[in-house]
Amino acid sequence: MAARSPRGSLSGASDIASDFEDSLKDLQRNDRFAIENLTNIARESTEHAQAISRVLENHIKATAPTRKLPALYVLDSIVKNVGTPYTVYLGRGLYSTFMESYGSNNDPTTRRAMDNLLKTWKEPVPGSMDHRPVFPPDVVRPIESALIRWKTGMLQKQNQPQLQPQGGYRSTATPPQYNGQYAVPPVPVQQNAYNAFGSQQTPQQLAGHAVYHTPTPMQQHYAAPPTSVLHAPIDVQVVKADISSLISRLQTQFAAAPYDTQVQTKLSQILDLQRAVDAKPPFGDSLRQVRDIVAALAAGLPPLPAPTPQPHAPVQWQAPTPTPQWQPPASFPLPYQPQTAASYMQPPPAQSQPLPILTPGALSSLQALLANGQKPSTPQMRTAVPALSSASHTQLNNVQNNVAAAPTANTADLLAALAKSGMFPIMSAPNATPSVPFSASVAAPPASSTASLLQSLQSILPPASQNGTPTMIPAQLVASKPRIPFSAAALKQFRPELVRSLYDEQPNQCSNCGRRFLANDEGRAKKARHLDWHFRTNQRMADPNTGRGQHRSWFVDEMEWIRLTEFDPSTTTADAAIAATTAKKQKGPQDQYVRAPAGVTRNTCSICQEEMRSSYSEELQDWVFMNAAMYNGKIAHATCVEEIKKSSLQSASGAMAAALSGAYAGGRRQRSETPDSALGKRKAEGALAGAGARIKMG
Amino acid sequence: MALPGLSLPGLGLQPSATPVYGGAAPPPVEQIARREDLPPQSEWRFEAAFGQQYNIRLLSGQAELFGVELAPKQTYNLSGCKGAIFTWQGCQLEITGDAESEYSAKETEYAVEWLNLHGMLETARDEAQPDGGPRVLVVGPDHAGKSSLVRSVAAWAVKAGRTPTVVNLDPREGMLAPPGSLTAAAVASQLDVENGYGIPPISGPTVTPIQTPLIYSYPYASSSEKPAVYKALLTRMALSVTNKLEEDATAKQSGIIIDTPGSLNDPKSNYDILNHIVSEFNINLILSIGSEKLLNDLTRRFSMGKAPGESVPVLRISRPGGTVERDAVYMKQLRMSQLRQYFFGNAKEPLNPHSHSINFGELGIYRAKSSSDASNTSTGFGADDDDYTPNFGTTGSDGDFEKVTPSAAMTGSLIAIKFCPASSDGDAVRDSAVMGFLYVAEVDEARKKMRFLAPHPQRWGDRALVWGSWPEVVADLLT
Repeated sequence: MAARSPRGSLSGASDIASDFEDSLKDLQRNDRFAIENLTNIARESTEHAQAISRVLENHIKATAPTRKLPALYVLDSIVKNVGTPYTVYLGRGLYSTFMESYGSNNDPTTRRAMDNLLKTWKEPVPGSMDHRPVFPPDVVRPIESALIRWKTGMLQKQNQPQLQPQGGYRSTATPPQYNGQYAVPPVPVQQNAYNAFGSQQTPQQLAGHAVYHTPTPMQQHYAAPPTSVLHAPIDVQVVKADISSLISRLQTQFAAAPYDTQVQTKLSQILDLQRAVDAKPPFGDSLRQVRDIVAALAAGLPPLPAPTPQPHAPVQWQAPTPTPQWQPPASFPLPYQPQTAASYMQPPPAQSQPLPILTPGALSSLQALLANGQKPSTPQMRTAVPALSSASHTQLNNVQNNVAAAPTANTADLLAALAKSGMFPIMSAPNATPSVPFSASVAAPPASSTASLLQSLQSILPPASQNGTPTMIPAQLVASKPRIPFSAAALKQFRPELVRSLYDEQPNQCSNCGRRFLANDEGRAKKARHLDWHFRTNQRMADPNTGRGQHRSWFVDEMEWIRLTEFDPSTTTADAAIAATTAKKQKGPQDQYVRAPAGVTRNTCSICQEEMRSSYSEELQDWVFMNAAMYNGKIAHATCVEEIKKSSLQSASGAMAAALSGAYAGGRRQRSETPDSALGKRKAEGALAGAGARIKMG
Repeated sequence: MALPGLSLPGLGLQPSATPVYGGAAPPPVEQIARREDLPPQSEWRFEAAFGQQYNIRLLSGQAELFGVELAPKQTYNLSGCKGAIFTWQGCQLEITGDAESEYSAKETEYAVEWLNLHGMLETARDEAQPDGGPRVLVVGPDHAGKSSLVRSVAAWAVKAGRTPTVVNLDPREGMLAPPGSLTAAAVASQLDVENGYGIPPISGPTVTPIQTPLIYSYPYASSSEKPAVYKALLTRMALSVTNKLEEDATAKQSGIIIDTPGSLNDPKSNYDILNHIVSEFNINLILSIGSEKLLNDLTRRFSMGKAPGESVPVLRISRPGGTVERDAVYMKQLRMSQLRQYFFGNAKEPLNPHSHSINFGELGIYRAKSSSDASNTSTGFGADDDDYTPNFGTTGSDGDFEKVTPSAAMTGSLIAIKFCPASSDGDAVRDSAVMGFLYVAEVDEARKKMRFLAPHPQRWGDRALVWGSWPEVVADLLT
């Protein structure tokens, strides 16, 4: 019992805390049993909550990055399963704890897990009757806004020359192509080799590039430090500006719906894309690809495999791959491919320039590489544009590896890496697409041709935008709506615009239920809420506590049905829904509240003896007890107080009737704020207690 | 044939029931997924029996079932459904399981008409007068595609952002409720491929969209059985619906779509009930499917020779080529399944019904007299005549409802809980909306106790219960 004394409890706290710390240190991975065990320790030692919280926070900050996530899971498990007082203690330092862990991890999956974790903290504990979020909004919101700010900051960093490897907060590791760039030494032997061939075609360029003596534009581009690339022509800047504007749009969307994973994914993709573009401005078709991808992303791609946005992909990117022409070395210089140029209206230089670069040496090493049986690096499983970032990195990695493997013939290797994609026409378009922009950019012609390319691209873009570009849709929706009078004659003629109004004009489809949304901002916001709703519903349904024991509600009576405003719960925000339902509802006792006295988070209703917990009211900016009223100087449930008042006014039989009617009314008050499973019981108890109180008073 | 939710024991899916459909459904040995490519504007018609696994997945393209678009790559369980998956743009489907019949069809002119009808209604909604949007009555014989039309048009309207009020007046097939009920619901959420309008509210989270219906009980199979009761309910329902539309501008602009049973197509009564509906709901468009005679009669009555302000346009809508007769066995299974779903939920949202055992003295049960009672030829339900209180119905209810003491004859039947108190008079009992339905599990006449299966854990209190002869007794809901 000594441990119970004030001194003892102190030492007890440190004992338990150090035990807790030891167990924490053993936690190396996401081990459910260990986490549950730690949660139980925390549950049984709530009197030492402060010490345990401190230990946990310190551990999360101090431990190795790989162990931070399991430790965060411990934190999560404790706050969700034990709740107060841990939420209070851990909530205080949550910002630094979380941000520190987030910042020290640059593994995307871990970050995603953390994002998800943060997401759940904004919501009530699944299955709990407590409707309050795990952490109060004022704890979680700073973290969210910091994450958004940080992502914006990261984006701005991307716009600056990336001469130094980034430190600190980054969403992914340094793009591998950098290593490749710096790893390529301008080997003299190689230059000679290239001079032999390259000078035949581009002698004028030889003079201009004294630094590396790179005779071919490709070599120059590949080996040039990124700084020079950044001073590339303006048209690349146009693309970059497009990307930036897309990013800012996505960020707005992200800010509006921070839990929409799709927006997050898109954002991170486009950030990756931007980084890649910054690092290596694409040319020619690859630039076009980037444009298309940006346009497609802007159009609000369907989240899952979506082959439609880039229907030209295979053509586009097989076109610049001159593989067939490369086969006969004797045929230099090669004519450019007229078919591609015609179909895409690209200026001849864009096509013809890369070809003369080719040398027999390059070809032979290319063939050697291919003969080595290296597999295509494009990840075939990545089927769609969303995989763009990682796929391109992999691709570039491969390029880089090839370069490292054969440094004396790196151009050839680059070509090989590039050609690999082109030489495997079996790959479907979506597979091939991700790898195009960057690998192609490696071998692309000098930047000077990009201007004309971009112009030709712009002439192509409008037709491409028919695949669901949002820009003209609102106009279409209004303009194309046919006016059809009530007449038998009007029924027969097929009106494709009606089909369009149901499908194409709402291109933003939910992959879960097929619901469609407009491609404007409102539609996107609706879809974000809708996906959120799917997520919440699935989470709640997957929870074993809520999955069982559901029952059908009673039907509503006429008055309630008449007053009911139907809304779609899947696209309506909670606020709007509550506003809709409460607008017509009179202020009942359950809407009453009492401001919580300082430091009081729990209270026992003096009438029904059930526990009451304070909650944070956004409206009042204060902690309150909801459904509460002062009764005899104590805080009690407002509903209980009302029952007491009612019953003390009535005769005994009247009280019984009131209790009964209360119980029946409870069934119809399903959607009230009060947890319904407790409602009926509380009603009955309230009435009984009321009778008791009346007797006491009498 | 393990089919969650429907494979519960006692659904009445005796193996003997299935061969009625031509016996062409051998037990599925292996479930091989097969693919069907549908060209634009064609459809895949299928009749899947209850208890037969029948899944469809949209692989590519776009397709819809009764106007509800299928999500790509999602598997839909369409067991017990007779329908057609239509594609405007062409699609590829993957089909698993066996159906009694399935084929692709290109005679789909009806779909163009239906879609144009949607366009018409949209025009009417855009140009809605102060008295509201289009109020459409769909009439025609049974199995002509009325319900499919109503569902498609409602689904498209919701997709266009409207909130149409859908009214079902067919007591043989419930909408959002067991059979024997008439339903009105303002549909705001997108319809569901598998569950149509969705499900009525439950206590927990749902994947299926929730609709909150207003339910009236009409415990007879046909409108012609008790036309007076039917008309009184129509009046009451029209009042509620009109009131609701006054409260909600969006719903008012979106209008009403009314589905009717084929029994309204009754020249003998001079289309008495149809007239009643048209005037009560202030109908401004009548659609006639599949009956030239009805079309002519209605045109003569409502459209021709009337002043422009009074005439109601009557349009003929093509009957889909794929409509099939839903025979008695299938309809019985459908009702059974609706009843079961009311208490037990569906596969995605299983529910726990609750058992209540109540003394006879606490119950106020009314029997909805069948039409045969009037001629005193009733045999099955006449046992309670000694409790008949002729003075009970004070205002012209002429004894459509009589108060009865519980009897063993009630076992297995469905009882409607009305919102009105148990001591209400006959008209109130008749007109009151339904709070819920009870299934009579057991009547212990010796101990004077009745055991109910109720959807809700709480008792319903002092409310009138109505026991009718429809839907038919289900002996084994609980076993």
